[in-house]
Amino acid sequence: MATKSNTDKITTDLLRPIRLNKSFIIWMGFLGVSLVICLGAYGWQLKNGMVVTGLGDYVSWGMYISNFVFFVATSLIGMLISAVLGLSGQKWAAPLARIAEIIALAFAAVAGLVIISDMGRPERLLNVIIHARIQSPIVWDITVVSVYVLISALFLYIPLIPDLKICAEKLENLPPFARKIYKALSLNWNDTPEQKKIIKQTTRTIAIFIIPVALAIHTVTSWLFANTSRAGWDSTIYGPYFVTGAFVSGTAAVIIAMYFFRKNYKLHDYITDSHFDMIGKLLVLVSLVYLYFNLNEYMVPFYKMKESEAILLHDLFSGNHALLFWSVQMLGLVLPIILLLFKKMRKPQPMLLIGIMVLLGAWFKRLIIVVPTQEHPYLPIQNVPLNFKIYSPTLVETLISIAPFILVLMIITLLAKVIPIIPVHETIEHLEENK
Amino acid sequence: MLRTNTKLRATIALIITTFCFLQVTAGNNWNVPADKKTKNSTFKFDANTVKDGESVYTKNCVSCHGNPTKGNSLKSLNPVPPDLSSAKTQELTDGELFYILNTGRVIMPSFNNVLSEEDRWKVIAYIRSFNKNYVQQVSTNDATKSQLVKADIDFNKNTNRLTITVKATEKTGSVLLKNDEIALFANRYFGRLQIGESQRTSADGVAVFDFPKDLPGDKDGNVKLVVKINDDTYGEILRLKTMQIGIPTDKPALNEKRAIWNVLAKAPYWIIILYTSGVLAFGCVLMYLLYSLNRLRKAGNN
Ligand code: HEC
Repeated sequence: MATKSNTDKITTDLLRPIRLNKSFIIWMGFLGVSLVICLGAYGWQLKNGMVVTGLGDYVSWGMYISNFVFFVATSLIGMLISAVLGLSGQKWAAPLARIAEIIALAFAAVAGLVIISDMGRPERLLNVIIHARIQSPIVWDITVVSVYVLISALFLYIPLIPDLKICAEKLENLPPFARKIYKALSLNWNDTPEQKKIIKQTTRTIAIFIIPVALAIHTVTSWLFANTSRAGWDSTIYGPYFVTGAFVSGTAAVIIAMYFFRKNYKLHDYITDSHFDMIGKLLVLVSLVYLYFNLNEYMVPFYKMKESEAILLHDLFSGNHALLFWSVQMLGLVLPIILLLFKKMRKPQPMLLIGIMVLLGAWFKRLIIVVPTQEHPYLPIQNVPLNFKIYSPTLVETLISIAPFILVLMIITLLAKVIPIIPVHETIEHLEENK
Repeated sequence: MLRTNTKLRATIALIITTFCFLQVTAGNNWNVPADKKTKNSTFKFDANTVKDGESVYTKNCVSCHGNPTKGNSLKSLNPVPPDLSSAKTQELTDGELFYILNTGRVIMPSFNNVLSEEDRWKVIAYIRSFNKNYVQQVSTNDATKSQLVKADIDFNKNTNRLTITVKATEKTGSVLLKNDEIALFANRYFGRLQIGESQRTSADGVAVFDFPKDLPGDKDGNVKLVVKINDDTYGEILRLKTMQIGIPTDKPALNEKRAIWNVLAKAPYWIIILYTSGVLAFGCVLMYLLYSLNRLRKAGNN
C-alpha cells in the first residue's frame, strides 16, 4: 500500500511541471522577443555582408567559431553523464541523465546553426556537401556532428518510451491530439519483460556507441585547428585538451540547469543536495584534468619559446590578451577547483554561482583559443590596417552570437515542458529494487 | 662643469644635424650618368599607357610608395619612399626615372629584370600623369630597330659554357653589338632565374656564360633560355631559345597522385577507409536501433 502511494507521489511530482502555465508563457515570450531582435541582426548581416562584423583578413574566425566550439563542447556532457557514469555504475547520476541528454541535444543541434552564422553566403551551404572532399576536417566535422545529434536524440528518446506511456495515461487536461502523440511515440509500451529487455539492450548499445562518437565530434573540432601549422593551434594534444575542456563546460551547464529545474519544478526530493555534492566533486575532477592539459598546452611551448609561439605566448601572458587569459584561467578554472574542495561550497546556491563562473570562463576560453593565434600570421600583410591586427567584435556580431543561446534555452524549456525531466519509470523501478 | 656639458651637447647636436643633412643630400642625388639622363620612351604616353602603368604601379610599387598624392608611403622604411607625385621626383628627367627603376638603391629594388622595358616606361607614364606641367619628349630612336638584332647561342658540352654572339643585320651589312649590357636567364615556373652575372659584350659582340651543371630541365632536359641585351641604338632586346642542356627531370605533378590536397576522386586510401568505415559503423548501429524499436512495438501487441 505504501509503495502504491509512493509510486503515485512520484508520478504526480514528476508529471506536475507538464502543463501550460503563466511563467512558462512569459519566459518563452521573453526568449521569443529576444530571438527576434537577434534574428534582426542576422538579417542585417545577410543584407550587408560580413563587413558588419569585426572579422577581417587576419581574424576570420572570431566570436562565431568560438561560439561553435563552445556549443559542441557543452553538448559532450550527455556522453559523460548518461554514458560514462551510467556504464560505470554510478547510480547517483541516473536522475540527472535526462537533463544532461536534453542539454546535449539542444547544444549539438544548435551548434550546426552557429556555423552558418559565420558564412557570408549561407545560400551556398549545400555546396559544402555537394563538393565535399573527405580529406577536409570540415567534412568530418559535419558528418560527426550530424551523427551525434541523431544519436543524442535516440539516447533521449529510447529510455523515455515508458515515460511517454505514463504521460499518455496519467496526464490530465491533455488535449486529445497531444495524448495521441504521446501514445504513438510510446510504441505500444506495455511494460512486458521482453520490452524491458529490449530497452535495456538498446540503451546500453547507444551508451557504448555514443562514447566514441562524442569523443570524435570534439576531437574533430579540435583538428579544425590542430591540423594547421599555426602557432598555438599546432599541437598534438588538442583532441584530449578540447574533450576535457568540454566536460568542464558541460558539467557547469548541467549544474545550472539542475538548480533551476529543482527550484522551478519543485524537485527537491529528486535532485537533492547530495546530487549537488556529487556533481560538484565531478566538476573538480574534470577541471583538474583540464588544468593538467592546460599546463601541458602552455608550459611546453613556453619552455621552448620557438619564435612564432613566443609572440603568441607573450601576447597571452603579458600582452593584449593577458587580462582575459588570466581571468579565464583563474576565475574559470583554478578558483572553482579550490572553492569546490570545501563541502560548504558544494551546496545548490554557491554551486549555481560557481557553475556560471565556469561556464562564462569556458566561453571566453574558446575566444582565447580561436582569436589570438590569427592575429599573428606567418605571412603578415604589408601596411595592414590596425583593425585587422586587433579583433574587436561588433554589436551585430554579438547579438548574432547570443541568438544560439536563446535557441538552446527555448529548446530546453520546451522539451522540459513536454517530457518529465526526471525519468519516472526508472525512479519507480529503482524504488522497487531497493525495497 | 655644466658649461662644458652644454658645449659638448651642442657639438654632438651639430654633428648629428650635419650628418642628417649629408644623408638627405645623398638621398637626393642619384648620380645618373649623363647619357642615361636623356634617354626617352620610344612611344608616346597617353591615357592607355597611363592606365597600364597604373596597374604595374599597383602590383609593384604601391606597397612602398603608397598612392601618389596620398602621402601613405611605408613610413617604417629608412629612407622613407618618396611620394612619386612630389615636385622633387617630378623634377627628374624621364631618363633619370628610368635609370632609378633599372638600378634601384638599397631598399628601392631594381626592376631591370622584373619589368619589361615597355612596362617600366608605362609606369613612368603613370607617375607623370600627376604632373600637369609635364611635356613628354619622345625618343627619336626607331622602336622597330631591335628586330634587326640576332643573338646566336652556342653550347659547349665539354666546358659547359654558352657563347652568345650578338649582331644586327643592317642593309649595309652586319653590325656587332659591342660593350652592351647582356644578361642570361632560364625560365622557371614563376619568373626567371638569372644565370651568372650580367656582363658586357666584347669587341666582337660576344659574351660567355658558365652554365650550371645541375639545372633541372623538363623531362627531355630542355631549358628555355632568355637573353637580354641593352643597346643604346637598338634598345632592349629579348631573345628566347630552348636548348637541351638541363638535367632531365620528370617529377609527377603535385595533383597527379592521391593526396590530402587533391580532389575527392584522388583522396588517399587511408582517409577513404577510415571515413567510410566510420559512417558504415554508424549506419549499422542506426539500423540495429531502428530494428529494436520495431521489435519493441511488436512486443507490446502480445
Ligand atoms: C621595397 C620598397 C620599394 C618598392 C617596392 C619600390 N620603391 Fe621606389 N623607392 C623606395 C625607396 C626606399 C626609395 C628612396 C631610395 C633612396 O633615396 O635611396 C625609392 C625611390 C624611388 C624613386 C626616386 C624618387 C626620388 O624622388 O628620389 C623613384 C622614381 C621610385 N622609387 C620609383 C619606384 C617605382 C616606379 C616602383 C615600382 C615599379 C618602386 N619605386 C617600387 C622603395 C621602394
